[in-house]
Amino acid sequence: MPAYKLTYFNARGRAEPIRLLFAAAGIKYEDVRIEGADWPALKPKTPMGHLPILEVDGTTLCESTTIARFVAKRAGMVGKDDLEEAKADMIVDGVKEVFRKLLTMFFEKDESKKEELKKDVFENTLPECLRSFGKLANPSGYFVGDSLSWADVEFYNLMEMVRPSFPGDLLKDNANLSKVIANVGGNPAIAKWIKERPESAF
Amino acid sequence: MAQKYRLTYFNLRARAEPTRLVFAAAGVEYEDVRIQRDKWPDLKPNTPMGQLPVLEVGGVTLCQSMAIARYVAKETGLAGKTKLEEAQADMLVDGIDDLRGRQAVIRKASEDRKEECKKELADFAPDFLSKYENLCGPHGHLVGDSLTWADLVFYDVMSKVLVVLPGALDGFPKLAKVMDTVTANEGVATWLAKRPDTPH
Repeated sequence: MPAYKLTYFNARGRAEPIRLLFAAAGIKYEDVRIEGADWPALKPKTPMGHLPILEVDGTTLCESTTIARFVAKRAGMVGKDDLEEAKADMIVDGVKEVFRKLLTMFFEKDESKKEELKKDVFENTLPECLRSFGKLANPSGYFVGDSLSWADVEFYNLMEMVRPSFPGDLLKDNANLSKVIANVGGNPAIAKWIKERPESAF
Repeated sequence: MAQKYRLTYFNLRARAEPTRLVFAAAGVEYEDVRIQRDKWPDLKPNTPMGQLPVLEVGGVTLCQSMAIARYVAKETGLAGKTKLEEAQADMLVDGIDDLRGRQAVIRKASEDRKEECKKELADFAPDFLSKYENLCGPHGHLVGDSLTWADLVFYDVMSKVLVVLPGALDGFPKLAKVMDTVTANEGVATWLAKRPDTPH
């Protein structure tokens, strides 16, 4: 019986970085995907009324970033000291900021406002993010140290989410970030998971 | 002699205050640099992500206020005693952002929207705080039985919420106890008394 039980909807969404990390670390876990109709009954039983949650060691954690960081720590993928851990944290926080802007754009119902938001993401948010991140990743394609960390995985996941709305090679002039993507995507365990994971709309 | 830690922000509490509270509670010295707005355009391109606050330590510049606060908490023993406690502190800090956002929006709202924003906060807070009351430990600390940065971040957000909703912690005795524990901390009390007075 795995020691970890992850619960989310049947989607990549906010849970996918966690699943990628479990895969990279070779840690077994229960990957529970609930139906939308089952959510109202489960919601009051969660710590803060949202998913994903991770049940581990007799307690329940929520907040996707917290869960990802916890799994990454158990997997030895956070960095080798407090300073490296902080660098990973700041990259992930930067990723979250872009993710939030993407979500705002996705969920905007007014078509002309949506176009405006999309333009802002494409012309401002993404280029600025990729410019900063390109300097923060090293030429070997790692944000922290010289091995895969959860910062690399979170960035990879972000680019996967960006791609459907912004096709084209956003990283063509960004050698460091292209290498980060290659390192994550080329990790055999991650590649296997991506090939075998359940299909979902998002 | 230069300080080991150099924190740079505007002359505001806002996103730097959680880190300042951690330094204060731990009794650890640091350089508390506050820049004028007109200096920001020159500094901006020299920051990792074009934002403040930044923390310079060991030849490295960190950004992202919560990454900084967590780092300082770890360095000063205020992050939690086990990996699980660290995660519990992390999730409570992450979660509080929903409350912080609804309070912060009041200040930025146009005059005709302010009352509406206050009402949204008043509608949101009770349910939110009841979840935190449930998750809160009985010792006057959100996590475990000693101070963590989660208590300090909670204090920072909640003290601003209480200005708008003075009775917000009525019926939530464990959370009220956290507020008392934080203000009773000697380092925090000293800092609160002497910190610069700023609009927010």
